Amino acid sequence: MNRFNLLTVTLFAIWIPGCISHPQTAEEFRKAVPGAFSAKVETFEVDRPFSQVAGTFQKMGPDCLSKTIKTTSQTTTSYQVIVTTYKPTVLVVGKKAELHVQQHHEQGVINVSKEPDGGYYLLVADAHPVTQTKTRIDLYRPSMGHGVLIQAVKNWATGENVGCPDLTK
Amino acid sequence: MTALATNQAMGKPLDHGRLALVMVSMCTASLLAGCFGSKTYPNTLDKNLRVHTTTDSGSWFSRVRAAVDIHGVGEDCTLDYEGTVQLADPKMDIGIPSHRWSYLVFVFANSSFLANTSGTITYETLLKPRAGSHYEVAVSYRDDMYHVGIRETSPNQSTSREIERLALRACRSSSGRK
Repeated sequence: MNRFNLLTVTLFAIWIPGCISHPQTAEEFRKAVPGAFSAKVETFEVDRPFSQVAGTFQKMGPDCLSKTIKTTSQTTTSYQVIVTTYKPTVLVVGKKAELHVQQHHEQGVINVSKEPDGGYYLLVADAHPVTQTKTRIDLYRPSMGHGVLIQAVKNWATGENVGCPDLTK
Repeated sequence: MTALATNQAMGKPLDHGRLALVMVSMCTASLLAGCFGSKTYPNTLDKNLRVHTTTDSGSWFSRVRAAVDIHGVGEDCTLDYEGTVQLADPKMDIGIPSHRWSYLVFVFANSSFLANTSGTITYETLLKPRAGSHYEVAVSYRDDMYHVGIRETSPNQSTSREIERLALRACRSSSGRK
């Protein structure tokens, strides 16, 4: 985790100005993101059937994101170790597929508010069929940092350059 | 010290600078070996895995190294670390036991010189090679994304099939192991 991501973590900790509380469910996260300082909603369509997008979420989510990551950063005056556990959840019900990504800091970050089971919500991606060949994605995501994770989820939706994100970045 | 200070092969003494360099190199090598705690995989079995590796950190100021740790898997799903193969070459042949579960841990270690940061991410899978079968493993790291894919080619067949990743927890399910 680089310093930029650490900044994002800190800003996520502040979350909504004047309100030190974190969303405790994916639905609360969806509702909170539009008004949050460090998060945004991104909507796009992909030329891919819904079933394929859902299938990729189901395969890649657990494969790539069920991880505990240890990163170190060092300067002449400091040495920092951050250990983070990510938890992906994929739900496919009817014509909706959801990918939730939570993160829990095991070491190196102080939590300032109640943490949901599995960790703070970091990203939620919802997929809905538009036509037989098109799928709409609503991506609730950080607006700063975590670019590799966001790009990976977009790739899973488009089906291009499908791989796992290096969560140490 | 006399023995160290004399380059016997060359038949002339080492100057102090070269001696210091040799000693620093030896110390660094031993420290690295101790820090990483890894041993080289013996790789003495018939080669049944061909690993194709491509890595690109995307920056002049960072580096990514790939390796695979090979573990044997006991009846009770305990792991027995057998060694590490550094995937330093684009194509490497590895021999792992057939008809027995192995646990392969592909390790991508990145380090940034400017930011002075480092991190390691892994991709793990169980694999039980079939005797006579050959396995092509594609390992890639590019644009901060990594991918590991394994394909199996059975004897006397020209086509191959993709091997699904199998997590270690599958070992505990008897149906997953038989």
